[in-house]
Amino acid sequence: MEMKRGAALERRVLSAAAVVALAVLVVPFGREVAAQQKQPIRVGASLSLTGQLSRSGVEQEHGYKLWLEDVNARGGILGRPVELVLYDDKSDPATGAKLYEKLITVDKVDLLVGPYSSPVTFAVSAITEKYQVPMLATGAAARNIFERGFKYIFQVATLSEFYMIGAVEIAAKHGAKTMVAVAENTLFTQECAQGARDHAKKHGIQVLHYEEYSRGATDLAPLILKTKRLNPDLFIGCTYLPEAILLTRQMKDLDFAPKLFGFSVGVALPDYVKSLGRDAEAIFGSSQWEPGVRLPGAREFAEKFRKAFKFEPSYHAAQGYAGGLLMERAVNESKSLDKEKLRDFLAKLDTTTLYGRYQVNDKGLQIGKPAFLIQIQEGRKVIVWPDDAAEAKYVYPFPGWKK
Amino acid sequence: MTGLRVLGVAAALAALLLPAGAPAYLLGVGLQLFMYATLAGSWNVISGFTGYTSFGHVAFFGIGAYTAAILITRLGMAWPWAALAGGAMALLLGLPVGAICLRLKGPYFAIAMLGFAESLRLLATLWTSLTKGGTGITLPPIQTLVPTYYAMLACAAAVLALNYWIATSSFGLRLLSIREDERGAEAIGINTTTHKIAAFALSTVFPGIVGGVYSQYITYIDPSSVFLALITVQTIIMTILGGAGTVLGPVLGATAISVVQEVLWARFPHVHQGLLGALIIFVILFLPGGVVEVLKERRILPRVRSI
Amino acid sequence: MLLDPALLLQTALSGILLGAVYALLAGGLNLIFGVMRIINVAHADLMMLGAYNTFWLFSLWGVNPLLGLLGGMPVLFALGWGLQRFLVSRVVRASELTSLLLTFGISIVIVNVGLYAFTGDFRSVAYLSGSIVVRGMALSKVRLVAFAVALAITVAVFLFLRWHPWGRAIRATSQHADLALACGIDVDLVRLGTFGLAAALAGAAGSLISMMYSIYPEMGAFFLLKSFAIIILGGRGSFPGAFVGALILGLIESFTALWTTATHAEAAAYVTLILMLLLKPSGLLGEEE
Repeated sequence: MEMKRGAALERRVLSAAAVVALAVLVVPFGREVAAQQKQPIRVGASLSLTGQLSRSGVEQEHGYKLWLEDVNARGGILGRPVELVLYDDKSDPATGAKLYEKLITVDKVDLLVGPYSSPVTFAVSAITEKYQVPMLATGAAARNIFERGFKYIFQVATLSEFYMIGAVEIAAKHGAKTMVAVAENTLFTQECAQGARDHAKKHGIQVLHYEEYSRGATDLAPLILKTKRLNPDLFIGCTYLPEAILLTRQMKDLDFAPKLFGFSVGVALPDYVKSLGRDAEAIFGSSQWEPGVRLPGAREFAEKFRKAFKFEPSYHAAQGYAGGLLMERAVNESKSLDKEKLRDFLAKLDTTTLYGRYQVNDKGLQIGKPAFLIQIQEGRKVIVWPDDAAEAKYVYPFPGWKK
Repeated sequence: MTGLRVLGVAAALAALLLPAGAPAYLLGVGLQLFMYATLAGSWNVISGFTGYTSFGHVAFFGIGAYTAAILITRLGMAWPWAALAGGAMALLLGLPVGAICLRLKGPYFAIAMLGFAESLRLLATLWTSLTKGGTGITLPPIQTLVPTYYAMLACAAAVLALNYWIATSSFGLRLLSIREDERGAEAIGINTTTHKIAAFALSTVFPGIVGGVYSQYITYIDPSSVFLALITVQTIIMTILGGAGTVLGPVLGATAISVVQEVLWARFPHVHQGLLGALIIFVILFLPGGVVEVLKERRILPRVRSI
Repeated sequence: MLLDPALLLQTALSGILLGAVYALLAGGLNLIFGVMRIINVAHADLMMLGAYNTFWLFSLWGVNPLLGLLGGMPVLFALGWGLQRFLVSRVVRASELTSLLLTFGISIVIVNVGLYAFTGDFRSVAYLSGSIVVRGMALSKVRLVAFAVALAITVAVFLFLRWHPWGRAIRATSQHADLALACGIDVDLVRLGTFGLAAALAGAAGSLISMMYSIYPEMGAFFLLKSFAIIILGGRGSFPGAFVGALILGLIESFTALWTTATHAEAAAYVTLILMLLLKPSGLLGEEE
């Protein structure tokens, strides 16, 4: 009896050992084979996941991640799965530069897409240029990034200078003769205001006054009082959300109601209408992109985003997604990951994505994509300019403040 | 003791030779560490040794950054000279400011320095003909980090030497007496005013220089990035953690915080700042002398003033 | 144009209406400084918590922000009490730098807890809008209400400090802590109460601010320096001084914005701070130390 049990036990052990040995030999071998065929393509980026700009940085991250899901559902790029290597640059340019250096030299990723915000992109572009790796600047709108004769940086978003020209155009069409502009005293808003003023001058509109304020301003009443006295036909505010809200409120308080006015950043964000209610009616704003825009893939993207994250996508998410899409297209059509081939492809590409048209000039500046002008109508934001993208006709002049 | 000496020499050698083998990413980490070690060590001179806590030390960093950036872009000056000019400008501006503000006591000095730094930030924003205001100054791109790395290392080493000299000299002893009891120091005949101003002046030079080096490294500066209050904050945390008023404190603190930041930030990206705040509270309540003090108590470090 | 009386008056009103809210914030800071000789770097962050408290009550349950303010004050009081009891009390006897750094660490924690819990989005409370027009002068409704509330609270606290035994205990401790102890005042309890009261006032200021501006977790930084400028201007340790100082700063800011630009107006607080520190550190209403 005991002999039998011992033998049975021995046999069990031996067969177990055989199975283990087989597994140890076969499985990694099989994996190796599979791996060689399916080495993932790694796309690297850093984003402002924490820090001052995290709100937008996280949205852009959502955009990248949605694109990742979609591209892998399509079978990847060149038949290989795609992986995202994402770091947090804390909204700090020096950190961003450090991280892209790491992505290129240590992680050795195959492709790069851009960080969020112009200052970080500015620092990062110096790195990508040094290593001659093409990068889509998905989150940058400032001109100075593209004034250094770099060959490896490509802008996806609309340049800050064009944000408000739609408002200037409409005003000019209706015979506006005078304008006042205000802006926050930082790069993006200053460029935006400069662009608006230049465009106004082209249309014969006189700029009566231009003033800058600091972020965190608690009282813009004196500024509005001064402006009200000048009685301009057009009032442009190159602001971020808090000051767009503050200016609107104080304009109502002081009963300043020019025929047309708008703000660069803020009106498109849900919080603007939420905070102002009916006071937001008929106010113009700038937008890089809206979920309802008539562009290929925009609605589908918005649907997917809503399902995944339970809130409306903003343009940051769309620009992230577009960046991934453009890079995917570049690799698929050049059939290669060669940096020079990709660079040349992106430099010559002229196409339209869910985000808008993409076409860059020889400096990498985005020249094909316009900034849309939106207006709040019945509590909803609608695109009113340019005409080929407009969802509705704009309301002009400003009907006045409601009691 | 010899174990420590070996450690010290090894660290110095590693720092010197890093560019030879390490990837560029590590160079970036290294040079930022040296930059902060310089800032922390300089802050230590006026705040750690002399006891006048400045909450606006970034002012001198910013002065250096802007001076160098303007000289490089307008006069085509080579950056090492521009950076040195940055240090000189910081000293030039620091002397009168120090002379005036050092008349204030304790927290008033701290707040006045904060006000000074913020005023400079606004001045840089408003004086557009000189600084280009909020638009910022763009500098030519650099090809390699190696010279920047050595420049920062040199500054950190110089400040370490400065701290050592202060800690072991009679000048330093008089500064400590001002910190402990200013009236008493006056009473025994120390000219506290000249000593305070001298210490303050010494503390402004190197932040000015590293500010200049920083601007050519980062290639774009604007008022809010170089007069950033966070820079002062980090400097203070590093020095306090390491041990204010000691020689190795700022260096250890800078290293520890840089490492801790990287680890916390990698593991807990959304809460690393909050954890840093908790760390400050912890250190203030339980380790007021900083890491160096703890090491000295445990006899890991010799209890001498030179460390 | 810029000396037009209507314009000047309108600007002055603007400055005064805003000043009162600053006063609530600075007043609390002054109380803490007076009693404990501590500069509470986390003060403006307590204000931020009060602002969010009101915001959430308003946006989740439609609670009128003024009620939210009243409801928030006890919450902030408890928080202030807790901070003093467990953290700040340990450093009251230590050097001023230590307490400065401690409250500074607390500030960072509060801001980051806020970022984590509320996210960095800008929020605001859509309460009143528009203005009432008096003799051609437009007075913003919401700012009038904020002014009235801030004034009422300030007067209440001032009277409390003047006449109520606990208020007098606070003033006694602020004048001379050791002597107060010798007179039988429970100085530790006074400190707890003071921190609590100051936090409640900061919370109230935050609630008012949420009705006028966009709030976000890092908002404290902008208000903190102004508060410093105010307490230096008005006199450290003087509660009514903070009110006067705040109104003056509000006026300085408004007129600077009118006669130069809004960017210069931001500098007004810093320049005022530095000038006061250099010329009369004890402030306009403070006692010489």
